[in-house]
Amino acid sequence: MTIRSDEAAAMLADVEDVVAKVKQSRIYRNAALIIMLWGVVDLVRDILIAIWPAWFGPRWFFIDAVGVAGTIALLRAGASPAGRFPFRILAAFALFYAFGWIWANLLGDFAPRQQMAFWPTLFLFGYALAGLWFGAAFSAIGLGLTALIVAGYVWAGDAFNLWLALVTGLGFILCGLWMRRA
Amino acid sequence: MNAPDDVIHQPVRLRVMAALTACDPGDEGLDFTRLKGLTGATDGNLGAHLDHLARAGYVEVTKAFVARRPRTTVKASPQGRVAFARHVAFLKAIIEGA
Repeated sequence: MTIRSDEAAAMLADVEDVVAKVKQSRIYRNAALIIMLWGVVDLVRDILIAIWPAWFGPRWFFIDAVGVAGTIALLRAGASPAGRFPFRILAAFALFYAFGWIWANLLGDFAPRQQMAFWPTLFLFGYALAGLWFGAAFSAIGLGLTALIVAGYVWAGDAFNLWLALVTGLGFILCGLWMRRA
Repeated sequence: MNAPDDVIHQPVRLRVMAALTACDPGDEGLDFTRLKGLTGATDGNLGAHLDHLARAGYVEVTKAFVARRPRTTVKASPQGRVAFARHVAFLKAIIEGA
C-alpha cells in the first residue's frame, strides 16, 4: 500500500479534528455539571431572597460556599487520572470573586437590585471570555443569559428577583443540559 | 516503521481510533452514538468497523442496559493504543520524508 504525503497529511488533519472534538466534548461535559450545580445553588438562593429578603447580603456567602465546595469536588472528579487538579480554573473563579467583592463592597455603591444583577453578570462575563478558548457554547451561555438578566433588570420591575431565579437557576440548569449534548 | 496498519488505515476506523485514544485509559470510553457523530458513519457501517477493530483486539466493546435502554460503549485497548500511535508515527514519517 502506497500513501502519498498529501494523503498522509489529510489523514493526520482528520485525526487532529476528531481529537479536538473529543477534548472539547470532555470540557463541555465537565463544565456542564458545574453549570448545573450553580443553577441549583442560584435557584435556591434567589428563591430564598425573594421569599425572605433577610437572606440578602452576607448570608449569600453560606449558600455560595456550598456551590464552591461542589465546584471543587466536580473539578477534582473531572480531572483525568493522569492529570493535575485544574487549579487555574479555581484561581480564575477566585479572581472574579475578588474583583466582584472589591466593586460590590468597597468601590461601588450598589443598591440591592444592582448587586443582584452584578454578581451573575460578572461570572457570565467570565463564561463569555472562556468561550474564546474552550468552545463557543461558553460564550453563547454567557452572552445569552446576560442579555436575559439585563432585560429583567430593565423591565421585570418588582419581579426581578424571581426573574433572576428563573434565568440563573433554571437557565443554568437548561444550559448545562444543552452543553452536555453539544 | 515502514508500513501502515491495514486495520486502522480505513478512514472510519482511523477516526474511531483517534476518538477513542483521545480518551484517558481510565475513562469508560465513548458510546456508540457519540462515535457515530464523530465518524459520520451510519449505524450498520460503524457497527461493522467496530467489529473489525474488536477482532483485531484494538477496541473493547461493552453492551449494557442503562435505564432500560441498550447502551454500547467502546474503549481503545492498550494494544489498540500502541497500534494507533504507530500508525500516526508512520503517517508523520511520510510527511517528513516528502
